[in-house]
Amino acid sequence: MSAATTTAGSGPLWGVLGEFDSPAALYRAAERVRDAGFERWDTHSPFPVHGLERAMGLKRSRVPIVVLALGLAGAAAGMGLQWWVSTRAYPLVVSGKPFFSWPAFVPIMFECGVLGGAAGAVLGFLGLSRLPQHHHPLFESKRFERVTDDRFFISIEAADPRFDKSGTIQLLERAGAVAVELVEGA
Amino acid sequence: MAEAVLHDVDPIDRRPPLILGEPDFHGITEAVARPIEWKPPLGWWIVLGISLSMLALLGVAVAWLFWEGIGVWGNQIPVAWAWDITNFVFWVGIGHAGTLISAVLFLVRQRWRTSINRAAEAMTLFAVACALLFPTIHTGRPWLDYWMMPVPNQMAMWPQFRSPLMWDVFAVSIYGTVSLIFWYVGLIPDLATMRDRAKTPKQAQLYGIFALGWRGSHRQWHHYERAYLLLAGLATPLVLSVHSVVSFDFATSQLPGWHTTIFPPYFVAGAIFSGLAMVITLMSISRVAFKMEHIINLLHFDRMARLILATGSIVGYAYATEFFVAWYSGNLYEFFAFRNRAMGPYAWAYWTMVSCNVVVPQIFWFRKLRVHIPTLFIASIFINIGMWFERFVIIVTSLHRDFMPANWDYFRPTIWDISTLIGSFGLFFTLFTLFVRFLPMVAIAEVKGVLPQAHAIPHETSPSVPYRQEEGARA
Amino acid sequence: MSHSGMPHSVGGHGHRASLDRAQVTLPRAGWAARLPLVCGGLGAVLLAVTFLVGKGNPTQLFHSYLVNWFYFATLAVGGLFFVLLQHITRAGWSVVVRRLAEDVAATLPVVALLFVPLAFGVHALYPWAGHEAQDPVVMRKLAWLSEGPFLVRAAIYLVVWSLLGLWFWRQSQRQDQMGALALTRRMQAVAAPSMIVFAVTLTLASFDWVMSLAPRWYSTVFGGYIFGGTAMATFALLIVLVLLLQGRGLFDGVVSMEHFHDLGKLMFAFVVFWGYIGFSQFMLQWYANIPEETNWFAERLTPGWKPLTMAFVVGHFVVPFFFLLMRDVKRHRTGLWAASGWLLLMHWLDIYWLVMPGLHHEGPRLHLLDLLAFLALGLLFAGALAFTLRLKALVPINDPRLAESLAFENV
Repeated sequence: MSAATTTAGSGPLWGVLGEFDSPAALYRAAERVRDAGFERWDTHSPFPVHGLERAMGLKRSRVPIVVLALGLAGAAAGMGLQWWVSTRAYPLVVSGKPFFSWPAFVPIMFECGVLGGAAGAVLGFLGLSRLPQHHHPLFESKRFERVTDDRFFISIEAADPRFDKSGTIQLLERAGAVAVELVEGA
Repeated sequence: MAEAVLHDVDPIDRRPPLILGEPDFHGITEAVARPIEWKPPLGWWIVLGISLSMLALLGVAVAWLFWEGIGVWGNQIPVAWAWDITNFVFWVGIGHAGTLISAVLFLVRQRWRTSINRAAEAMTLFAVACALLFPTIHTGRPWLDYWMMPVPNQMAMWPQFRSPLMWDVFAVSIYGTVSLIFWYVGLIPDLATMRDRAKTPKQAQLYGIFALGWRGSHRQWHHYERAYLLLAGLATPLVLSVHSVVSFDFATSQLPGWHTTIFPPYFVAGAIFSGLAMVITLMSISRVAFKMEHIINLLHFDRMARLILATGSIVGYAYATEFFVAWYSGNLYEFFAFRNRAMGPYAWAYWTMVSCNVVVPQIFWFRKLRVHIPTLFIASIFINIGMWFERFVIIVTSLHRDFMPANWDYFRPTIWDISTLIGSFGLFFTLFTLFVRFLPMVAIAEVKGVLPQAHAIPHETSPSVPYRQEEGARA
Repeated sequence: MSHSGMPHSVGGHGHRASLDRAQVTLPRAGWAARLPLVCGGLGAVLLAVTFLVGKGNPTQLFHSYLVNWFYFATLAVGGLFFVLLQHITRAGWSVVVRRLAEDVAATLPVVALLFVPLAFGVHALYPWAGHEAQDPVVMRKLAWLSEGPFLVRAAIYLVVWSLLGLWFWRQSQRQDQMGALALTRRMQAVAAPSMIVFAVTLTLASFDWVMSLAPRWYSTVFGGYIFGGTAMATFALLIVLVLLLQGRGLFDGVVSMEHFHDLGKLMFAFVVFWGYIGFSQFMLQWYANIPEETNWFAERLTPGWKPLTMAFVVGHFVVPFFFLLMRDVKRHRTGLWAASGWLLLMHWLDIYWLVMPGLHHEGPRLHLLDLLAFLALGLLFAGALAFTLRLKALVPINDPRLAESLAFENV
């Protein structure tokens, strides 16, 4: 039985927002939404709910690849820099060691590799998450402010091919939402 | 008979729950965010005042150093560098516990870390800042510090990469950078919390800018978690490597007492040891000042005390091994260096070091003492005194009797040496005091994630469930 | 108070709700009964053959014996390390594999006995007992490096290890029978000081048995280096043992990919740790360039030895590092077989590389005695292990954390 749904924001309909009060409820609801075949939807929580990727049917994150690539690049750059400086740009004989003193170059190579990897992790994460994104229709919703506190949400975009206003609202309600909101905005 | 529900509550240790009082998610948000929202207590202003005055002393000491030159530290013979290098290694070392708590404890799934990792990571950043102070000022001519950078310059010269001091430049600055990245990534969800709770639009904007528009989307959490795991995986070898590189400053030399292969793991263990002690010092006070005793509770101190005992034992093992091999080596100079430490003019420093680093942590074999806050607080201070002396002993006892008799002298700190050390504490405490005032000192999202209610799947519950309902199982 | 032997756990994600005893008990008769006898018998015969063949070449004989004996000794004492570590950290995930480590550690008395032939080889092996005894530097160490003290210390290390190995084995056995929480508490309490004893004895043993092969050389981190390789090999051995047992239809539903993943992660961690210690040891002595230290490495970088040294670094560190970095490898049977088997081989190569350059200066010369000693000692070790595995269930059935271990799910 659908209760009165509120509306947030103004403008064309962006989507619906269902609110849940526990991670378990969110998990089960997410499975339903996934099984219903939606693609342009998301779940929101104050902390990562373990296993939710499975419930949503998400593919593995590609962050590790970015980390590996930038990490190796960093290490190569570190070693390359030292090699070039010590053998080409400014070769110095220091305590009889060869120009390309590779054992002495390992520490900096390693550190540069770690720096590259860390940069890869943060850039990969931000890039794949499309952050920063300071404006989003969901921020118009007052209820949504609790997403960083103690409430859990599912948002389904109107742009999804399977979206049907009343049908989608009903889906969320049947899935256990304590409240459903229409979100408007671009 | 044990109920058929699986708990992570350890059936042996009956350890107390991670978070006391069974708060819900909102309770956690409130407990951590509210202190930043009300006016700080008087105690905070007092601590800030003291820290700022120490920081001012630093300003004076550094200004005088730049004006007069490095001679104000008495630097005419190698041993006079004592305090500069000791302080540098001391501060870098303290930073390592923060990374241990954030990264290593995360990899080994120790959920209790969530109550202290934010503050510990902040401590790391501030400790690294204090550490970097010393290489920056020690040339006496900081406007020439760019000579350490591998950048094209007007002299067509490049740094000498075979020097451990160059390795330090990279290691410590990369450590600072990666720690900053790790800390900031962890902060993003909490900044979003502060943004959504903000009482004024300006506050909301300020927190909001740095929150990057975070909206708790699992499509983002998904990448976040992977990135966090990988950052932890990168930070772990980083923490091993940074203090190893610092140890290389000494170990690559030929000086008896400095040149020894055990330095890298020994220094790393000692760093974590001193850093944990500093975390205890800071947390003992902060948790009371900000009324978070239920979040940072005796469980956390017990765990940290055990880690202190473990790392302190490794340090003790290293002392013993070095001493034995100094004899075993048959190298008379090496053996002299060790006999000199124990019985020469610096014996007072050596025995201070041994009593603080080897004897004091032994109290933590006793559980009652692991959870007695006053004992922990006092012990942590002694441990840090001991670790400062360890670096002092290593540096001074080898330098004051190095290969050239012209360099032999008894080291005495100048007033500027002392002021700079006190001033560096001023920098550290000022930064930390400001941190706890403006940023959430506990990782809100992470703590919520380890509460029992956080699990979507029934069989996984966390140690926060009070085990009293298991009493029946002990029949 | 006793518990019933059937810990429960709630199902979920395909984990068994209770422990199937048949999965964790070796069959009474059949291959499990024959194995200790066959291995032990064959091993004894081969041991005799080894000594017969080696009679005319004592230096080669004892060097080959030392390499292989030390290899299996590190595996055995590594089992003890694993047990101590799990008790100290109060780990839950590892309970299902801890019994295997206890059984490995319980072979220590056999390993100790097999040291005896080395006692007769002290003069052939150690220059400080032989041709370098008059060297002025070595003479300063005579209080430590002479036959009597050396053998007394060896006895102490081996007896201490055997006692610890047997004690933990026995307490765990009693827990199978009685299920008392007090036993776990006791094991936890004893594990911490035991770890200190382990560290000190392993360090001194590695100084005595391997480092003193070059009596003028020294490295304070040498104990740490041996420890790193030992720990890595221990995890590899545990993985191989579980895979072997699973190949025999056991441990199904008991040890899952989750446990393998953790064992693989720890194996990876120790590959890195070993590499870190090994590199630091090398780089520091290379950098200071002091002849009394660099000689040891120079011996291993001669034209004859250099190829093996390079291959060994690549094989023991570089390749396993990138291979084990991948998450999927640690969750894949074939990947785990490959990685663990390879690392067990690399650990042997490590010890060969540590010991043999003192004998064969021109380059690695694999000898029949190397192979014979490996087979003989390996069979005897396997026989002892097969024997201890039969004495109890393959998991600590009444361990209070067993339920947690069975239901364990990795990150």
